Amino acid sequence: MKALSKLEWLKFVDRLVNDSGMDIIGVKAKGESFVFDRLKSADELRLDHDVTILPPKKVFLPVTEDLISYDLKGQVRGERTVDDKKRVLIGVHPYDVIAIEQMDEVYLGNNIDEHYASRRLNTLIIASDIINVSERSFAASLGTHVTDSGYDLLVTDIGDTVVVDVGSKEGRALLKKYGKARDASKKEVDTVKCWRSDLPTWFARRAKLPPSEWKRVLDENHDHPVWDENSKKCLTCGTCTTVCPTCYCYDVDDRTDLNLKEGKRQRTWDGCLLRDFTLVGSGEIFRDGVKERYRHRFYRKGAYFPDRKGFVACVGCGRCAYQCLPDIADPSEVINSIASYNLHKKEEHPVPPVEHPEIREDLLIPEPATIIRKQKMTDLETLYVVRLDSGKELGHAPGQFVQVSLYGIGEAPISISSAPLGKEFELLVRRVGDVTGAMEKLKEGDKIGVRGPYGRGFDPKEMQGKDMLFISGGCGLAPMRSLIDYTIGHRKDFKDVWILYGCKEPAAILFSKDLKQWADVENVKVLTTVDKCPDGQCWDGNIGVITTLIPKVAFDPKTTIAVIVGPPIMYKFVIRDLKSRGMPDENIIVSLERRMKCGVGKCGHCQMNGIYCCIEGPVFKYSEVKNIPEAF
Amino acid sequence: MKPRVAIFDFASCEGCELQIVNLEEKLLDLIDIVDVVSFREAMKEHSNDYDIALIEGSIMRPMDEERIKKIRERAKVLIAIGACACLGGVNKLRNEWPVEEVKKEVYGDAPLEGNKFFDVFPTKAVDEVVKVDFYIPGCPIDRNEFAKVITAVALGRKPRLPTYPVCVECKKRENICVFELGQFCLGPITRAGCNAICPSFQDGCEGCRGFLDDAKMDAQKDVLRKYGVTVDQMMKKFNFYNYRKGVL
Repeated sequence: MKALSKLEWLKFVDRLVNDSGMDIIGVKAKGESFVFDRLKSADELRLDHDVTILPPKKVFLPVTEDLISYDLKGQVRGERTVDDKKRVLIGVHPYDVIAIEQMDEVYLGNNIDEHYASRRLNTLIIASDIINVSERSFAASLGTHVTDSGYDLLVTDIGDTVVVDVGSKEGRALLKKYGKARDASKKEVDTVKCWRSDLPTWFARRAKLPPSEWKRVLDENHDHPVWDENSKKCLTCGTCTTVCPTCYCYDVDDRTDLNLKEGKRQRTWDGCLLRDFTLVGSGEIFRDGVKERYRHRFYRKGAYFPDRKGFVACVGCGRCAYQCLPDIADPSEVINSIASYNLHKKEEHPVPPVEHPEIREDLLIPEPATIIRKQKMTDLETLYVVRLDSGKELGHAPGQFVQVSLYGIGEAPISISSAPLGKEFELLVRRVGDVTGAMEKLKEGDKIGVRGPYGRGFDPKEMQGKDMLFISGGCGLAPMRSLIDYTIGHRKDFKDVWILYGCKEPAAILFSKDLKQWADVENVKVLTTVDKCPDGQCWDGNIGVITTLIPKVAFDPKTTIAVIVGPPIMYKFVIRDLKSRGMPDENIIVSLERRMKCGVGKCGHCQMNGIYCCIEGPVFKYSEVKNIPEAF
Repeated sequence: MKPRVAIFDFASCEGCELQIVNLEEKLLDLIDIVDVVSFREAMKEHSNDYDIALIEGSIMRPMDEERIKKIRERAKVLIAIGACACLGGVNKLRNEWPVEEVKKEVYGDAPLEGNKFFDVFPTKAVDEVVKVDFYIPGCPIDRNEFAKVITAVALGRKPRLPTYPVCVECKKRENICVFELGQFCLGPITRAGCNAICPSFQDGCEGCRGFLDDAKMDAQKDVLRKYGVTVDQMMKKFNFYNYRKGVL
């Protein structure tokens, strides 16, 4: 270890501020509290802070940041914004260092987020040992009060001297270039060791269970009364998620300048406690209840994250507990109150083992594409034939989706409704929101942006040699069509095919030409139904909901694969009827709709319990999701 | 063709219109994308041919009611701007007393009989009289939000107001919670979009942007009680901009 006298330490910080050309961000006082902010001189820096209002995460994932600058004049263009400013972050407590390492798992792990990576890789971290313990912190219970990794330098203010532990080559070089450090004496090293080992006794708050036990007690207490009791007091103000060092969810919005000529696609922090977090274009809110939202936060941190990454996504900083006005956000208190209470009703929500394919370099930047043809299908729906301007094939699997992007308006997830054939692909778009509404005004030849394809599609190979029973409702036929066309294109690989399709009314029927063509293929039967036939429309077929068609099909439940895509309400009833005919769970395939904002498993909006609909789905085997309470 | 915009004021302080004038250099961008055909506070010209009507102020009199209905007929899009138009605002405080009593209190024995300017009824928000398409709340409105809504309308995008409370923006600005400073705040139940301007200057939120549709009133009252706020103080605070919307 190295050491600097207090005076030399201050000189070191001042040299960094004045001579390094880097942004030096350190802990400063704000009233009685502390914040990370740009330092103008060393005497602003505090190493005696208990905790900062916001975590240092804001340096790597700013509260609001520009992702893309776009230009709406003439040819619409967008360009990724780059922030590669060199920075040094001083005064990061061990729990925040560990939180940053957790953020790295999300943003630098599978599918690197370029914006985060650029800031992260250009920042050096000078961590500091905790000198004053925050009144609500329970870091010692999680072992996050100290750390031996994740920093370039780790300093301990022991009075007249600052002891420095070098954590990286870059840290060593920084200290050498700007500081006059000597070797620490044995006494100084012992003082630091002693302080660290005594530190846990200074914590007033404790979690009764080690983090390795959190998942177990949460799995066993899904129906514990604490969720009801606490959520009644919840303001749903989102403070707990906003101040959390491990929360990483975000929203994206296009901010066009008042001149309508240019703008920025911006990312801003979002949180699962806020009502519209799970809102989709059609108006459905998938996690509407306060209790469900309140509970989700704890499960996300204590059960879903350990499931996915092997660690609890809480570092015990106590920010949420301290900032929550009704004082219901403290994870240690919640864990303690369920720890001694065991309903013995285990409810696990395992993540399906899905390989997440590596996605091309610019994660959030749409590729330019052109609308080749446009065909109005119903009052609400239009079919677009699209081609990437790069001339490359989209390379999708049936059932996958893309993010369609219109600068100035936003992005919307749209399922691909054509089988993977050539460079053109088809998107069926229902006019429900901003992007879909704006798309309708576009003409053939106009440009759109496309990201993807994303998600797990259907696996036709798994279905080979089986009878196929397709059941869809409304625009659920769109993603299903990609698989039906594949099945018909590989007719020999499959046995009998039944296509059951239901709509609200005859005028809402999609792909009527396709339905006729499919019906002409050998051993393919098409059955359609409408909920009702209003005056002025023609219909001589079945009237009734989709389940009224199921008894008309003589399928063998053991040799048939049923594929279901439709509005959320449909699944429960169709699955019930299939099960009553003896169909095993593994033979039922569903594709689910959620708010897929990023498409790459980061923004958090599409989560159903611990599952990301955008990367583990949207296609699931029923057996994978039947016990997921938020799936149906 | 650029959309034609007209700005009208009813019972208000005209502070929201001043915010539009205060757009400064951005005002030039505004008149680049729309034709402002009527704006009493900023120009002499006036036309009754417009697509978008921006309404400041609340509706107090039969003559106001008649006028706003005419505006509604002429406008394709009607946008209420500011607390007075969106909520009734502070003008609604007078609804606490009978109209005659209020007149007496303010004008004493002055002869007002038959004078249509003083013929008032209990204050109404604009949407209590005509259909409002979009709202730009606040007292006064936030210039950035104004620009955002106008931009959205011009791009054919539905302008959306935040559906989360002021606390989100307040925490993002890393403010010390005003409850910690010994004040009390309606931030947890009030619609965000102001970038938490009052708490950022150590002042509790007054709720000028209106309460959220799903505001957690009971939880908020529990918090206020916990911090020693009396029922009387609560009532006054709730009623200030949101008359009788925070019923205890």
